Amino acid sequence: MNALPSSPANPLGAKDRSSQPFAYIFSGLFVILGAAALAWLVVSVIRNPAIRLVVEGTAVESGQSPSLIIAFLTQFGIVLPVLILGMSALSIWLGFRLRSRDILAARWAQTALLWLAVAAAIAAIFTLIRLGFDYVSQQEQQAAPLNLGQLTPFFVFSGASGVFALLLVWLNRRLDYIFSGKEPLQSREIRQAWNLLIPTLAVFVLVAARPLEQTFIRSLTDKRFAGQAVPNFVGLQNYGNLLGMRLDIVDCRLEEDADRCDLARDGSIRWQSIDRELLQEGFRTVWTIRLPFDSSPSALAISGLDQDFLKSIGTTLLFAVISVSFELLVALFIALTVNSAFRGRGLMRAVMLVPWAIPTVISARLWELILKDTSAGIINRVLMDIGLISAPQAWLSDVSLQLPAAIMVDVWKTAPFMALLLLAGLQTISSELYEAASVDGATRPQQLFSITLPLLRPTIAVALVFRTLDALRVFDLFNVLFGRQQLSMATYNYETLVNNQQDGYASAVSMIIFLLISVFAIVYVRLLNVETE
Amino acid sequence: MKKKWLDVLQRVIFYALVVFIAVYALFPFYWAFSTSFKTENEMFRRASYIPQEPTLKNYQYVLRNGKFVLTLRNSAFVAGTTSVLSLLVGSFAAYALGRLRFRGRTALLYVILSMTMFPSISILSGLYTIVQESGLFGTPFALIMTYPVFTLPFTVWVLTSFFRGLPAEIEQAALIDGATHMQTFRMILLPLTAPALVTTGLLSFVTSWNEYLFALNFTITNPAAQTVPVAIAQFSGIDSLQEPIAEIMAAAMIVTIPLVLLVLIFQNRIVAGLTAGAVKG
Repeated sequence: MNALPSSPANPLGAKDRSSQPFAYIFSGLFVILGAAALAWLVVSVIRNPAIRLVVEGTAVESGQSPSLIIAFLTQFGIVLPVLILGMSALSIWLGFRLRSRDILAARWAQTALLWLAVAAAIAAIFTLIRLGFDYVSQQEQQAAPLNLGQLTPFFVFSGASGVFALLLVWLNRRLDYIFSGKEPLQSREIRQAWNLLIPTLAVFVLVAARPLEQTFIRSLTDKRFAGQAVPNFVGLQNYGNLLGMRLDIVDCRLEEDADRCDLARDGSIRWQSIDRELLQEGFRTVWTIRLPFDSSPSALAISGLDQDFLKSIGTTLLFAVISVSFELLVALFIALTVNSAFRGRGLMRAVMLVPWAIPTVISARLWELILKDTSAGIINRVLMDIGLISAPQAWLSDVSLQLPAAIMVDVWKTAPFMALLLLAGLQTISSELYEAASVDGATRPQQLFSITLPLLRPTIAVALVFRTLDALRVFDLFNVLFGRQQLSMATYNYETLVNNQQDGYASAVSMIIFLLISVFAIVYVRLLNVETE
Repeated sequence: MKKKWLDVLQRVIFYALVVFIAVYALFPFYWAFSTSFKTENEMFRRASYIPQEPTLKNYQYVLRNGKFVLTLRNSAFVAGTTSVLSLLVGSFAAYALGRLRFRGRTALLYVILSMTMFPSISILSGLYTIVQESGLFGTPFALIMTYPVFTLPFTVWVLTSFFRGLPAEIEQAALIDGATHMQTFRMILLPLTAPALVTTGLLSFVTSWNEYLFALNFTITNPAAQTVPVAIAQFSGIDSLQEPIAEIMAAAMIVTIPLVLLVLIFQNRIVAGLTAGAVKG
């Protein structure tokens, strides 16, 4: 860049006439780019096969005709069309500003050209990778010669990238010749910031915002997983089915010929089932809770339309609450022990990272082995050696032991890690406080409750939030340990999506999990008053 | 005299606690290690703390298994590329969020953080469509494309807090001397954050290396693109109908030991990075 400072004798807008045509070139370029993006959007909507099917009315198979809006939303979503519209509007506006030789517009044009060149280059590399994989997979089936016509998109994209790069270089060279004025420092900083944020934002739009919005849109439809057909709009039906619940009071089943309640083999009372009509509507009882205040035994039956989902919510909440509380206790114990100075402390900290570094899938399989239900399982052997149990326990197949087993594994895997976080918090507490407390005659437990824990509170809060959100999303552990026997919310979601192929329904499950986790996060932050900045 | 005796007792109890914690953390790992040297027969006998007839057969089987070696290579490629890419992209964003003043900075930081809040299963079906449209379904690139969902928010968050911690004078001096923002970033700030880059890169690597759900679903049509966790979850032996647990554990050891070594070498940095990300956040 040969940066000649614009002389004060040459005020804004009074530049040499001979450079005006260059400004028109760039101006025209951006107007055309904006218009082209707009045209591309319109053409791709019109030519989209799913939308054409709906418009031509050939999509009617199940009697219910899918709506055009749903077809558009499932094919294009909201974020991407809005972004393209916004970008093309900005580009056209930039074009007009460039005509009046505005230096700020020129700077933004540089930024735009840079990222256009990069985007086209990435697209070119992408098409090449894709071609490579197509070629390899074709080779495996039969020897197919490489068709040069397939390379066209690659040449188009790399050509475009080259053109944008050349324009950028040209604009850089001629910037001071064509445009007048100087960019203020502050706007330079703002432009630079967005410049640097563009890649991250692009990644987020592509791999987070778009899939999330699709999840939301699909949750209102009856879409099948990986299906090409345009789904039907079903409103809130999925949500209704998932959350449909009712409470009934049920009496106990009476023993035959007697006036006593019938007892199940394990000694618990057997309850009557809910009305047959309700069963036919699809309600199934998930939990029965005995009411304490009745003289004749009766119970509250909580029934739902989707028994498995409600059960998975219960399991996950129970799992999250118990395992996070145990984790906190174990982590506090470990952190307080390791916090005192002793030889081998560094080694200890390293040891604590080991459970965290082992992939969850592997640790799940490892615990499968440890918890084996014969005496070949080491836990059974250790407990029998100590004398705590007399016969091997079936940790993973006995339903009542499944949740404790999962909690055990989770606590093992994450408590040491949490302890490291707490340890870092402990180290910020000044030792003078403890010295002063000892001088005043405070005992160790007093010090713990009046100095350590209050000062550690922010650290504990953050660790708790992170861990609870993690525990509510638990997937790998339940999937590997239990398969379909014991479902967490996330594994239930997986079952409905991948095994039952009910994409719309599964998306509604995802939305509910997402909302539940957000509620937890907000309540936590409020309750614990986590400092945000 | 009595006081001294009490002191000794205290120390003994203390070290007993330390040893107990170490055993608690390491025992399952040791158990996998010891199982990987056991013979198939021994697996069905009463559990023994050390292998009765130690054998290297399991390791031989796993390493001669071409498929497993292939998944190792896939995992290394996917995790390596993902962490390099998210470092590159994330450090740009972190510089902007940590050092430059512009409107909407805090809001953006929280939008990025909220990306870590939903379970990965909830974007599986949406991503499935995108991956399929891209034509890279069943290739390692499908994973490289999608893993930034986990690695990028975290990278941006940690690096932003590191950038904020650097004194402002460094950059001002450079800017006054006529350097552009990009030059200050590349030549002055980036070298200063090298330790943080190592930490976040390593954490991204571990996350991508351990990821299971996307790896399972995006490579389902092509076993040649599978990563290690998927292979281990689906591992089956050649000659037995029973689950080849000893071989699985040998495979698990091969996968885990490099990771554990990495973690042990960089443990100080990892702890620093995690606390910067979690506690200050």
